[in-house]
Amino acid sequence: MDSFQAVLIAQTIVNGILLGTMYGMAAIGLSLIFGTMRIVFIAQGSVLVFFAYLCFWLFKLAGIDPYLSIIIIIPGAMVLGAVLYYGLFKEAAALQDRISSLLIAVGLMFILENFMTVVWTPNPRSVVTSYGFASFTVLGIHLTLNRLLGLGIAILATIGVFLFLKKTVIGTAVRATSEDVEASTLMGINPNRVNAVAFAIGMALAAISGINVASTYSFDPVYGFDVAIKALFALTLGGIGTIYGALAGGIIIGLVEMLGAYFVGGGWTQAILFAFFLVALTFRPQGFFGRTGQKA
Amino acid sequence: MAKSPSFIGSLKPAGPESLTNLVIIVLALVFFGTFLFYTDIDSIIVFYLFYCFIFIIIGQGWNIVAGYTGQISLGSHAFFGIGAYTTAIIWLRDITHTWYFFDPLVMFLSGLAAAVFAVIIGIPILSRLRGDYFSFATLAAAQVFTVLVLRGGKLTEGAMGLRIPGTLFEDLGIYYWTGLLLAILATAAVFFVTRSRLGLALRAISEDEMSAASHGISVLRYKLIAFAIGAFIIGVGGNLYAYYIFSISPPAVLNLNWLFYPILVCILGGNGTIGGPVIGGFVVGAIVVFSETLIGRVHPMVSGVLIILVMKFLPTGLIGLKAKVFQRH
Amino acid sequence: MANPLLEVKDLDVSYGDIHVLWDVSLSVEEGTIVALVGANGAGKTTLLKTVSGLMHARKGEITLSGEPIQHLRAQEIVDRGVIHVPEGRRLFASLTVMENLRLGAYLPRTRPLFAESLERVFSLFPVLKDRKEQKAGTLSGGEQQMLAIGRAVMAHPRLVMLDEPSLGLSPILVKTIFQLISTLNEQKTTILLVEQNVNQALKIAHQAYVLKNGKIVMCGRGCDLLVNEEVCKAYIGERARKPNG
Ligand SMILES: Nc1ncnc2c1ncn2[C@@H]1O[C@H](COP(=O)(O)OP(=O)(O)OP(=O)(O)O)[C@@H](O)[C@H]1O
Ligand SMILES: [Mg+2]
Repeated sequence: MDSFQAVLIAQTIVNGILLGTMYGMAAIGLSLIFGTMRIVFIAQGSVLVFFAYLCFWLFKLAGIDPYLSIIIIIPGAMVLGAVLYYGLFKEAAALQDRISSLLIAVGLMFILENFMTVVWTPNPRSVVTSYGFASFTVLGIHLTLNRLLGLGIAILATIGVFLFLKKTVIGTAVRATSEDVEASTLMGINPNRVNAVAFAIGMALAAISGINVASTYSFDPVYGFDVAIKALFALTLGGIGTIYGALAGGIIIGLVEMLGAYFVGGGWTQAILFAFFLVALTFRPQGFFGRTGQKA
Repeated sequence: MAKSPSFIGSLKPAGPESLTNLVIIVLALVFFGTFLFYTDIDSIIVFYLFYCFIFIIIGQGWNIVAGYTGQISLGSHAFFGIGAYTTAIIWLRDITHTWYFFDPLVMFLSGLAAAVFAVIIGIPILSRLRGDYFSFATLAAAQVFTVLVLRGGKLTEGAMGLRIPGTLFEDLGIYYWTGLLLAILATAAVFFVTRSRLGLALRAISEDEMSAASHGISVLRYKLIAFAIGAFIIGVGGNLYAYYIFSISPPAVLNLNWLFYPILVCILGGNGTIGGPVIGGFVVGAIVVFSETLIGRVHPMVSGVLIILVMKFLPTGLIGLKAKVFQRH
Repeated sequence: MANPLLEVKDLDVSYGDIHVLWDVSLSVEEGTIVALVGANGAGKTTLLKTVSGLMHARKGEITLSGEPIQHLRAQEIVDRGVIHVPEGRRLFASLTVMENLRLGAYLPRTRPLFAESLERVFSLFPVLKDRKEQKAGTLSGGEQQMLAIGRAVMAHPRLVMLDEPSLGLSPILVKTIFQLISTLNEQKTTILLVEQNVNQALKIAHQAYVLKNGKIVMCGRGCDLLVNEEVCKAYIGERARKPNG
């Protein structure tokens, strides 16, 4: 292996980590939502892409910088999250009807995908800013500004969520509800409120990832399903209920995807990832980092 | 701990025990059995009914797993695709030396291929995973299969897909008859499975796996059998569809519609019942045929909206609605 | 005479088709300890769950200081100061002791009193103070029960309903817990105590009810029931045979 190849591999690893943080953020959102109401919100990825399109639109039509649009999109995302919860999932969550909630999420994903196809066409889109692709070379590894910004924002968001869960009363309530809904009800915690908060944060994280996707990669309406599945893999690897586990899981997925593409070629990465997921799931159904065997 | 019944648990298999049910069944059979004799064969109604039959078949295939073991499979499109691809491959390589469509042997082999795939993925998945994890593992397995098809080289011709000669097509008559027959067989299969020891075991498992296991029921084996039977039925549905579209490619037979249609058919009609998927098949058939001819590509959005509306307002399906109405009076 | 703090009248409760409580009536006077005893499956937990709003009755009335509460949701009942310490403690195991206590004072009503309540909890259970930052799941059984009661105290309760607080504890700890319950009561907290440990429960109770197959079959002063032959035969003897924990 010559040094040129070594740099390429290092480059691939860095790109994998950057891509992985996006999956990781989506996974944290999934983890929060799953934690409080045992719903696998499979539409997470489609929502993420939806926000990428909003970012794209704000950029195209209003000339708003993608990183600036965070200020608009995040509050919108949180409201959307609460609306989705109260509008669609409240009853299913109260009955702990996981089949209903799974299928509602699936239906939502389907609607979003097709809605985006109608509004924005199936053609791939991307947001190209004047500065985004400005690049640096560190130790021979090529980094672009948008990826660095993406990484920075992802890290900040993760720390933010962590502090929220750790330091605020409602955040503590979210963790308590993830552990025992009935007991948290006996504390006077309104499960609907907590679930709506989890949804709102999940959507905010999807929005942040969506903005990162928009300014770094190209995307199309069906990309969301891919992201959701990978986020789910990340969650499964990382274990449900741990923020850092979800992020680490995302990074592993990003690495497998990038290294897979490098060594085996593009088209096979999907299959490798899915197979990897299957194997991981089968041997460690409770995840690699997660708490083991606490929950029914 | 207090736990509300899920809609699957709350519905017991409702069979045609009563006389009215029997009368309805006989009337329906007579009606559909003679339908072609007084209808224009090229009419859209025949086309619609053919679609309904396909939906009933794949709905029943999904029903056997979801309705009676409580496991939500998200891999139906793979079984459907396997059925369709097996049909095309057998035809193109002339493996069975038949020169006509709807060869029962090919049909059987198509179902069998799907069932074999189900067993292969089912052994690891069913032995270790349940609930949502089962759902997503089936989805992952189906996606692996899709990639294999896309990368299948000469065997599957990748994204281009395979074509079987459309020149043998005369009219929809034979499609109608075969579809009707298979829909009846699929429904009967579910009926007899649920009345059998297998059905009993499945119900015990879905209610309480631990206690079923402690009563000496081999949980894995029964789940696997149900999963394979379901896959077989869906694979046969794929075979039927292959003869109808001629061009078998990933976008045609492996797209996610074929994941959602069986689910929609079951939950709309009433999951975990024999009649539910039949009713659901006719309703979903109407929606799909209608929106496909009228609004074209928007229709997946329609099925998304429908799934949500059904789950929100009619979680027991149309069959459950009937029960509700009767309760009120 | 003033209304009792809690009054339950002709309560019928069922799980789906399974009818569990029949015409249950009881009342808890302000400032007292009321014990509710009965065999396994008698419906004691069900009664507490119905009072705390986790379940809803088919028929009957529950009033708090004369005000009906049976239609309220659980969090509204908590807000009125009725705190249910559930069977098996149900602590948030991955949260620290302090976080558990903080959630005890989750509702806005109780937050201004936080420091005061915390003081009270730590004086009742000094051991919790030393374990503030420890995960609740790592506490010993006795400490966990103290935390569960402490969590209720944080809510500034008018009525604490304890479901089998002595469950799974060693005899010496059982004694401690019962002493603490008495102390809590001396600090003007009304207590509805569900126990299998009939002997101890009746000793500290002012008033007691016996629940059998979902019906109240006996009631009286705690000390009277304690010497009642029937109760002794039915419950106290049984408990002696039962392995503890
Ligand atoms: N979720 C449930 N669904 C159906 N029946 C239930 C449920 N929970 C309890 N029961 C039944 O209700 C009855 C009363 O139960 P409950 O838990 O109130 O009894 P208990 O007096 O608290 O018993 P223990 O001393 O064992 O805690 C029992 O017969 C039990 O089987
Ligand atoms: Mg009890």
